[in-house]
Amino acid sequence: MQLSDRVTGLFLVALGGVAAYGGSRLPPVPGQQIGPEVFPMIVGISLAICGGLIAAGVGRRYENEAEAELTEATGQTEDAPDAAEPSPSRWRELWVLLPPVLLIFYVYVVDWLGFLPTAAAIVLVTSLALGARWRLAIPVAIVAPLVINLLFLQLLRVPLPSGLLPLPWIGLP
Amino acid sequence: MASRTRREILVGGGALAAAAAVGAGSASAQAYPTRPITIICPWGAGGGTDATARIVASVMERELKQPVNVVNRTGGSGVVGHAAIAAAPPDGYTLGIVTVEISMMHWQGLTELKPDSYTPLALMNEDPPGIQVNAASPYKTVKELADAIKKAPHGSLKASGTGQGGIWHLALVGWLTAMGLKPDHVRWVPLNGAAPAMQDLAAGGLDLVTCSVPEARAIIEAGKARSLAVMAAERNPAFKDVPTLKEAMGIDYTTGAWRGFTAPKGLPPAIANTLTAALKKVNESKEYHEFMNNRGFGIRWADATGFAKFMDEGNKAMGVAMKAAGLAKG
Amino acid sequence: MSEIAQGFGLVFQSDVLLAILFASIYGLIVGAVPGLTATMATALLVPITFYLPPIAAIGAIISSSAMAIFSGDIPGALLRIPGTPASAAYTDEAYAMTRKGRPELALGIGLWFSALGGIFGTLALMALAPPLASMALRFSTFEYFWLAFLGLMCATLVSRSSPVKAIASMLLGLLVSCIGIENPAGTPRFTFGNTNLLGGIEVIPALVGVFAVSEVMRAMLTAEPPKPERRRLGSILAGQWALTKQYPKQQFRGNIIGVLIGVLPGAGADIAAWVAYSVSKRFSKEPQKFGTGHPEGLIESGSGNNSALAAGWVPALLFGIPGDTITAIAIGVLYMKGLNPGPTLFTEQASSMYALYIIFILANILMIPLGIAMIRASSHVLRAPRASVMPVIVLLCAVGAFATGNNLFAVLTVAAFGVIGYVMERNGYPVAAMVLGIIMGTMVEQNLVTSIMKSDGSIIPFFNRPVAAVLAAMTIAALLWPVAAWGLKRVRAQAA
Repeated sequence: MQLSDRVTGLFLVALGGVAAYGGSRLPPVPGQQIGPEVFPMIVGISLAICGGLIAAGVGRRYENEAEAELTEATGQTEDAPDAAEPSPSRWRELWVLLPPVLLIFYVYVVDWLGFLPTAAAIVLVTSLALGARWRLAIPVAIVAPLVINLLFLQLLRVPLPSGLLPLPWIGLP
Repeated sequence: MASRTRREILVGGGALAAAAAVGAGSASAQAYPTRPITIICPWGAGGGTDATARIVASVMERELKQPVNVVNRTGGSGVVGHAAIAAAPPDGYTLGIVTVEISMMHWQGLTELKPDSYTPLALMNEDPPGIQVNAASPYKTVKELADAIKKAPHGSLKASGTGQGGIWHLALVGWLTAMGLKPDHVRWVPLNGAAPAMQDLAAGGLDLVTCSVPEARAIIEAGKARSLAVMAAERNPAFKDVPTLKEAMGIDYTTGAWRGFTAPKGLPPAIANTLTAALKKVNESKEYHEFMNNRGFGIRWADATGFAKFMDEGNKAMGVAMKAAGLAKG
Repeated sequence: MSEIAQGFGLVFQSDVLLAILFASIYGLIVGAVPGLTATMATALLVPITFYLPPIAAIGAIISSSAMAIFSGDIPGALLRIPGTPASAAYTDEAYAMTRKGRPELALGIGLWFSALGGIFGTLALMALAPPLASMALRFSTFEYFWLAFLGLMCATLVSRSSPVKAIASMLLGLLVSCIGIENPAGTPRFTFGNTNLLGGIEVIPALVGVFAVSEVMRAMLTAEPPKPERRRLGSILAGQWALTKQYPKQQFRGNIIGVLIGVLPGAGADIAAWVAYSVSKRFSKEPQKFGTGHPEGLIESGSGNNSALAAGWVPALLFGIPGDTITAIAIGVLYMKGLNPGPTLFTEQASSMYALYIIFILANILMIPLGIAMIRASSHVLRAPRASVMPVIVLLCAVGAFATGNNLFAVLTVAAFGVIGYVMERNGYPVAAMVLGIIMGTMVEQNLVTSIMKSDGSIIPFFNRPVAAVLAAMTIAALLWPVAAWGLKRVRAQAA
C-alpha cells in the first residue's frame, strides 16, 4: 500500500475535517465552559493543516536526506520490500492482510471452537504462508498453542476458552 | 520466543501456581457447587474493586470447597463487565462484583442495565465521601466552609474528586442541593480520580475535594489536607475526630460508593441462598475484616433482600441528583 | 544505624529472598511477552501477596516490576516489537543495532543502564525523598499541561522521517485518544454507539498492533533475511564499561530526567523514556546517527526509564499518591500489609523503609545475572526460522491483548492497528509518534481543559506560577529552536 504523499495528505485533510466537524456537533456540558468539542476540533484542524502541507510536498526533502544518511550509516537501504522482491503483483500484496484477518477469525471463532484448535489453525496458516514446510508447520502448530495456554493459565491465571477441545490434563476450566 | 524459554516458564509457573492454589480443596459431595466458580470484576486488575473481589474469592473458596477465580472484564468504563455479569448463564457458576456505577450509568443513557437486571446476593462494602480542604485553608469546620460557599459568587469556588458525573461529583451536588444551593454553585473540575484531585488540592489548585476517606487518607496523614466532615450516618472509626454532616451542620445527607455481589437474573433460589450464606461467612471472617480495615475500606453488610432494597433506594436518589445536575439523559 | 541492621535482617530471610527471586523470573517472562506489561505483571502478583509476609510481598512487587520494564526491551531489540510502552521510544534504534549484527550490544545496554538507572533512582529515593515529593506536590494541572506539551514535541525527534509526517502521526494518536467517555466532559465521543468504544482505545492493543502485527504483515511480502552468522553471542557486558566511560553525561542526564519525571504522579517510565531519548538526540554531537543503531540514545533512555520507576515510589510512599499504574497497585499492597504510606512510614517504621531500599538495590543487582540468562535464552529466536517465530507472535498478539481485560474487542483493536501501522510505515509516517500521541492525549486534554476551568478562562496562571513559568519558557524555546536554526541556515546560505 505505497501511496503518494498527495493521496495520504489529502486523506488526512479529510479525516481532520470530519473529526473537527464531528467534534463540533457534540453537545455542551452544563457547568463547564470548555465542552467536549474543543479538543477534537483543535486536533482535527491541526491534522487537516498537516495533511495539506504533506500533500503540498513540504518536508519531503528532509525524508530524502534522512534516507541518504541511513544508507551511508548502515551500508544498506531501509528494508524496502520492493527492492527485495521487485514489484509484487497487486494480488500478492493482498497477502499482507493475512495476519489481521486471522486475528478477526480468532475473535469470532475462539469461543465456539476453543483456544487450542483456533490457535493451531492460526499458527499453521501463518507458518505455511511464510513458506514453511509441513514438517515444521505442524509441530509448531501443535506445541505453540499448548505452551501459550499453559503460560496464561498457570502464570497469569487467565482462562482461555475451552470450546470443543479443552486442555486435556488440567482440571481447571 | 515462548517455545525457547519453556523451561523457565514451567519452573516459574509451577512455583507461582502452587503459591496461588492455597485453599483450593477437593470436590465436595454436595450438589452445588461441583465445579469452579468465576467472579467477573468490571474494573481493572490492581484497583480497589479488584482487590475486594479477590479477597472475597479467596475466603469463599474455603467455604464452597471449589476454586473461585476472579476474571477482570474491563472496557467501556465498566459497562462491558457489568453487561457480562448480566448476560452469563444463571447457574451459579458465574457471579459478579457490582459497583455503584450500575445505579448511575443507565441515567446517563450509557446502558440499559439497572440494579434490577441482576439477582442480588449481598452488599459487602460502602465508603462514604469526606469533604477535604487544603491544610492551609482558612476553613476549620465544615460550617465555616459551608458559609463561605454560600457567600461566594456562583462558580467561583472549585471542587473535584473524580470525573464529570462520577460518584463524588454527585456527592457534592447532593450536599449543595441539601443546603438549598444550585448544583453547580461550586464548579466541578473533572479530574481522573481521587488521587489526582487530592494532589491538586495539596498543590493549591482546588478549594475542596469530595472523595472517600481512605482515598484521602495518606495526604491527610501527611499534614497536607484536612477532612472536615463525612457524608455518612456514622463517623469513620479510623478518623474519629471527623464529624458527620448531620452532627456538624444538621444536614441529613448521606451517600457513598458501594460494592456488592450479584448473579445473573433467574438464578435458582436454592443456589442464591447458598451463595448469600457463603458471603455472610466471608463477611464474618477474620481475613476479610483484616483486609478491609488495613485498606481503610468500609464494611457494610446487607443480605439479598436488604441489598435489593439498598440498590433500589440508591438508584432513585441517583436519578434525582443526576437530573438536578443535568447529567441524566432524557 | 540499628534500624539499617534491622532492615538487612528483614530482607535476608529465606522467604523474602525466595519471593524476590521468583517474582524476578516472573517479571522477566511477563515483560518479554509482547502485549503483557509491567503493570500487568504487578497486578497479577497481588492475589499471591495475600499469602506473603509484608516485606516479602513488597519485595515481590518491586522486583517483578523492575525486571518487567527491562525485559520489555528484549522483544523490541530482537523483533522490533516493544514489550512495554516504555520501550516503544527506542525500539527502532535497538532493532537497527540488531540488524547491524550486534543484538548483544543493544540488549546489554538495556540491561546495564537499566540496572544502574534503577540504583540511581533508589539513591535519589533514599536521599531526596522529601524535597522531591514537595516538588511533585507543586504540580497542578497548569504545570502538567506544559509537561504534556513538551512530551508531545518529542514526536519529531524520535523518528527518522519528515517532521511534518511525524507531527501528523502524533495528531492521529491524539485523535485516537479522543475516542470514548474518558474525557473531562464525561461525554461519549466518536463511539458510534459501540459499548466497547466507550472506554476508549487502550494503549497496549494499539501498541501491539502497530508494532507487532504490522511487522508480521511486512514479513508476508519480504524474503527471509539472512541469519546472522552462527557465533557465540559474545559477552553481553563486555562493551558496557567502555560505553559507561564514553557517555557519562548521557547516562547521568538520563538518570536525572528519569527521577524528575518519575516523581511526578501520572507521568512515569513511559514518558521518561521518550523525553530522555529526545533530549539525547537534540543535544547530541552526531544526531544524524540516531535511528541507525547508535548507542547514545539507548543509554540515555534506558537510564531514564528504570530510574523513573524507582522515583515513582517517592509520592507513593510519602503521600499515597501513585506515581504510575504500578505504584498504584503497590500502594494497595502497602496498606494491606499495615505499611501505611505517609511520613510516619519513614520515622516509625524506619527499619521497614530500609528493608525496602535494600530490596530495590538487590533487585537491580539481581537483574544483571538473570537478565543475561534471559537474553541468552531469548536470542535463540534470532536463529529460529522465521516461519516458526512469526506465527507465535500472531498468537501472542491475540492472547496478550485479550488478557488485559478478558475482552475480545481488544483483539479487534490489535488487528485494526496492525493495518493502520502497516499503511503508515509504508508511506513514511512514524508509528512511534502515533503511540506517543495515544499515551499523552488524555493527559494533554485533561490538563488543558481543567486548567482553563480552574482559572475561569484566563491563561495567566499558565505563566505566573513559578514552575509553570519555567516549563512554559522551555516549551517556547523548544518550539522556536528549529525555526531559528532554519532561519539562521538560510541567512548563512544567502550570505555565502
